[in-house]
Amino acid sequence: MDLQGKKVLYVNLNKHTSETKTLPDLNQYIGGVGVGLKLLESAKQYDPIIFSIGPLNGFFPYASKTAIVINSEAVEDLYIGGTLSTRIRFSGLDAIVLLGKSETTTVLDINNEQVTFRDDFANYGLPGKRGVMKTTTNNLVLDDYFIAPGTLLIDKMRDKNIEGLVMTGTRTFDIKQKEKYEHLYYQILERKDELSIKQGLFPSCSGCPMGCEKSKYGDLGGNILTHSLVTCKFAERIYSNINTAFSCLNVLGYHYTHEDLENLPNLIQKMLRGFYD
Amino acid sequence: MRSLVASLPNKCIGCELCVFEAQRQLSKVGLEGSFIRIFREPEKNTGFLKFSIDLDPQVEKLDLEKIKSVCPNGVFDIIEEEMENGLTR
Repeated sequence: MDLQGKKVLYVNLNKHTSETKTLPDLNQYIGGVGVGLKLLESAKQYDPIIFSIGPLNGFFPYASKTAIVINSEAVEDLYIGGTLSTRIRFSGLDAIVLLGKSETTTVLDINNEQVTFRDDFANYGLPGKRGVMKTTTNNLVLDDYFIAPGTLLIDKMRDKNIEGLVMTGTRTFDIKQKEKYEHLYYQILERKDELSIKQGLFPSCSGCPMGCEKSKYGDLGGNILTHSLVTCKFAERIYSNINTAFSCLNVLGYHYTHEDLENLPNLIQKMLRGFYD
Repeated sequence: MRSLVASLPNKCIGCELCVFEAQRQLSKVGLEGSFIRIFREPEKNTGFLKFSIDLDPQVEKLDLEKIKSVCPNGVFDIIEEEMENGLTR
């Protein structure tokens, strides 16, 4: 995993091309909504859709969402569950930026950093390692179950002639501090009583044991730190604690300080004000 | 010989905690090369998902108790199989 910068896949829908860039300047925004807003700011003229995960996705329990940042009539951030965040993580990417508009209807088949523009969903991705997002008549559906909140994203996808997105991640990461990591992982997993939902038998997001009823519909807005880590909003009590967030980041090898995490809301609010000045 | 079996697959919610536990035991994080794989398909008429669990025989090299206990819904069991001339009975 590249901790020196955020790895961003830029997809040019007009030309059906793509390129990956590693951007060290994005590190200060942690991930999720923070990185998403910064990417929106820099690509605003191309009306982007930004999918952005956080540094804990794939590594810690309840870090199971993907932030989506778009500019509609206002800047909007929304969050969806399912398998998308872990598939982006295991592709080695931190964010995907969809720029412009495709001339023809297309399905984006992303395998790690490789993008194939397909006409339909036939022969896509790798079973067990893919997340599949499809536009249906009324909704944007992920993994045939999870639904993106509201209509902003599906409207934007339709505007851009994107019928769906298939994300496959086949990378693995070594764990450097294995014992510490595992200890912390289980410590957090065992805190399920602190989640603000009840355990159920509904399809669950990848990395979350709760099987809750509410995960189906995704989230809108909320705590800046948890939405930058892109943890579930129902786990806010766990991950909005700066010490917990710091410990998780530290054990993965990130060099964030407590101050970096404390200052994040100000940094993001300042950036948000810039959109409306 | 101890074997891991998915005795209650209908209780699987697709959280993949078992997949990640199996990978952690091999000192890695990710899906590639995992000895456990979860597949999902939509269930007809219910709007739910149906999960199936694929276990590579190599999973038996791992700490099966840890895999069993990480599952939130008790999908797995560990069974003892008797061996005769290197083959299970």
